[in-house]
Amino acid sequence: MAAITRSNKNNIPMVFWPLLFLTLLGVGLAIYRLVVGLGVSTNMNDHYPWGIWITVDLFLIPVAGAAFTISLLSYFLGREDYHSIIRPAVLAGFIGYGIVGILLFLDIGRWTQFYNIFVPGYINLHSFLEEVSLCVTLYTLILILEIAPVFLEKWGYNVPIRWIQRGIFVIAGAGIVLSILHQSSLGSMFLLMSHKLHPLWWTPALPLLFYLQAVYTGLGATAIAVKLIWRALGLPIDRVLFRRIGQAMSINLMLYAAIKVGDWMGAGEVPLLLKPDTFGLLAWFQFLIGIVLPLAILLSKLVGHTSGPFWAGVFALIGTFIERLVVSWIGLAEPNPVSYFPSFTEIFITIGMIAGGVLLYGVVVRYFKLFPDPEHAHA
Amino acid sequence: MTLSRRDFFKAAGLAIGGALITAGPTLASSGEPDPNEYAAMLYDATICVGCNACTNACRQWNETKAEPDDRQVYDAPRELSADTWTMIQLYQGENEYSFVKRQCMHCVDPACVSGCPVQALQKTAEGPVTYDQSRCIGCRYCMYACPFHIPRFAWDTAQFPVIAKCTLCADRLKDGLPTACAEICPTSALIFGKRGELIAEAESRISENPARYVDHVYGKDDAGGTSVMYLSGVPFENLGLEDLGTRAIPEISEGTANIILPGVLIGAPILLGMIRMTARRGGWEDTWPL
Repeated sequence: MAAITRSNKNNIPMVFWPLLFLTLLGVGLAIYRLVVGLGVSTNMNDHYPWGIWITVDLFLIPVAGAAFTISLLSYFLGREDYHSIIRPAVLAGFIGYGIVGILLFLDIGRWTQFYNIFVPGYINLHSFLEEVSLCVTLYTLILILEIAPVFLEKWGYNVPIRWIQRGIFVIAGAGIVLSILHQSSLGSMFLLMSHKLHPLWWTPALPLLFYLQAVYTGLGATAIAVKLIWRALGLPIDRVLFRRIGQAMSINLMLYAAIKVGDWMGAGEVPLLLKPDTFGLLAWFQFLIGIVLPLAILLSKLVGHTSGPFWAGVFALIGTFIERLVVSWIGLAEPNPVSYFPSFTEIFITIGMIAGGVLLYGVVVRYFKLFPDPEHAHA
Repeated sequence: MTLSRRDFFKAAGLAIGGALITAGPTLASSGEPDPNEYAAMLYDATICVGCNACTNACRQWNETKAEPDDRQVYDAPRELSADTWTMIQLYQGENEYSFVKRQCMHCVDPACVSGCPVQALQKTAEGPVTYDQSRCIGCRYCMYACPFHIPRFAWDTAQFPVIAKCTLCADRLKDGLPTACAEICPTSALIFGKRGELIAEAESRISENPARYVDHVYGKDDAGGTSVMYLSGVPFENLGLEDLGTRAIPEISEGTANIILPGVLIGAPILLGMIRMTARRGGWEDTWPL
C-alpha cells in the first residue's frame, strides 16, 4: 500500500485503519463509561481514587508543552530559526491538550456540572487543581487562536489572519504565562500530599521541578517529532536548529538535576536512595536515564548531530514518564494494601483518544500547510 | 503556633498580588472563628467497648445502607465507605488491644477544603467540614489531599456519584442537638462539646490517671488541630493515627499559591515585555545562548 508521501494524496495509508479502529473503540468505551459510571467501567477505588487517565494527563501536559517552549523561544527569545516548527508544535500542543481535556472530562464523576470550575462564586484560588483547570482551558483557547491561520488560509479568510498576526505577541505571551502557571501548578497539586507521596519525590520545590521538566520534555518531544516527521516528508533537517534545541534542553536538565540533588541532600533523604526497594531503584533509574544520560549526550559532540537531541529527547521523556507515574499513582501509597491496575475500558479509552489525536494530526498534515516547502527550508 | 507563619504568607501574597488575587478566599478566611469554640468530639479508646452503637446511630440519622457480612447476619463494614461514615475498628497487638473509632476529623485547617477546586467542601463557622454536591464535580482531589484517608466516593453510583463522609451532624447542630454517635454512646467513650472544653477534659484525664493513657491528646495540635480528638492507652500509630506533625497540611500549598499566582501573573508579562522591547532594539539575539 501507499506510504505517507505528499504525492499520493488519494491513497489512504495503511496505518489509517488501525488508528481509526482504536479511535472508534475509544469513543464507544467513553460513551459506555458515561452511561454505567466509574465503578463499573474502571478499577479505581477508595484507595486509588485516581488512575491511568490522570497519570497520562500528567505526562501529556509537559509533552504538549512543546507548543509553549517553541513559542517562547521563537517569539520572545528571538530565535527566528524556530519559526519553521511553530505550526507543527502548536498543532501537537492543541491536540495534546484536547486529549487531556477529554480524559479529564471522562474522569470526573459529576461531569454534567464540570462547568462549576468556571463559576466565579465557586472558584477556590487556593486550589492548584482549580488553577490547572482554568489555565488549561484558557491555554487551549489560545492554542486555537495560534493554530487558526493554518485553516483560515486554506479556506481563504485573510482578514482574521491579519488580526491574529497583529496580536500574535500578546496571544503567544498570554499562552506562555498560562503555561508557566499550569506546568508548575501540576507539581504544586501534590504539595498537599506531603504525608502520602514518597519523600524522594515530595518536596516544596515540586512546582519548580515540574516547570523545568515541562520545558526540557517539550523540547525533547519537539526534537523527536521534527526528526521523524521531517524525515517522513523528505524535508532537509536544520542542524543548527537541532543543536539549539539540544542546548536549551541541557540548561533545563542541569537546573533540574541541581535542584533535585540539592533537595535530596538538604532533606536528608540520601539513605532512602541507598535502600534497594522499588522507590530507591526507581529514583536512580529516573535520575540516570532521564537526566544524566540525556545530559551526557547533549554535552558531548552528539549535540551537533540530529540523533543527539533526538535520543536525549527519548530518554528525557522516559524519565518524565517515571516521575509522573510515581507522583500520581505508585508513590501515593495508602497504608491499606489495596492494589490498582487499569481496566480494559480505562486502557482502551486512553489508547483510543491518543490514536484519535495521531489521526487528526495526520489529516491536518495531509490537507493543510503545516510544514515549510522543501525549497524554503533552512539549510 | 502556626498562625503567624500563615499570616506571613498571606501578607506576602497580598503585597505581591494586591487585592486582585487574594481578595476572595484569603480575606474570607481571615475572620476565622476561635477553634476552641468549634463543635467537637473526644473519643477515649480506653473506655470504648466496641459496641458499634455509634455506627448504627450514624446510619439511622444519615440514612446510609448497612454493609452486611458474607452470611448476611451482621452489619459488618470493614472500613469507611460511601455508605459507612463512621465505624469501630479493632487493633489487636501481642499483649494489648484497643478499639478505635473512624470518622472525619473535621480539621481546624482542612486539606480537603484547601484543595477542592469548587468550594464544594467548606469549613463552617461552627466547626463541621460540610459537602455540597451541587458544586462537586467529582474530581476526588479531596480524597488524596486528606491526610487521614477519610473522604470516600460513591463508585457504584452511575449518575452522579457523590463524595461521602461524616458531617459532624451539621444538620443536628443547627437545632442544638449533639452528634448522633456521641448522643448514643452507652459508655461515654465518645463525648460531644466545644473543642476548648474537650481539650481541658482530655488533659485532666491524663493528669489524673497518667498510667492509663499515652501522654498525648491526638488532634489537639496534630495536623494543625482537629475537632475530633483521641485519648489512647496504646501508641496512636497502632490505631492508624499517624504522626503528622503540628503544621496544618494546607500551609505549604496555600503559601505557594499566594506567591506563585500573583508572582507569575504579574512578573511573567513584565519579563516577557522587557525581553520583547530589548529584542526590538536588536543586536543581542545572536549572542543569546539558547
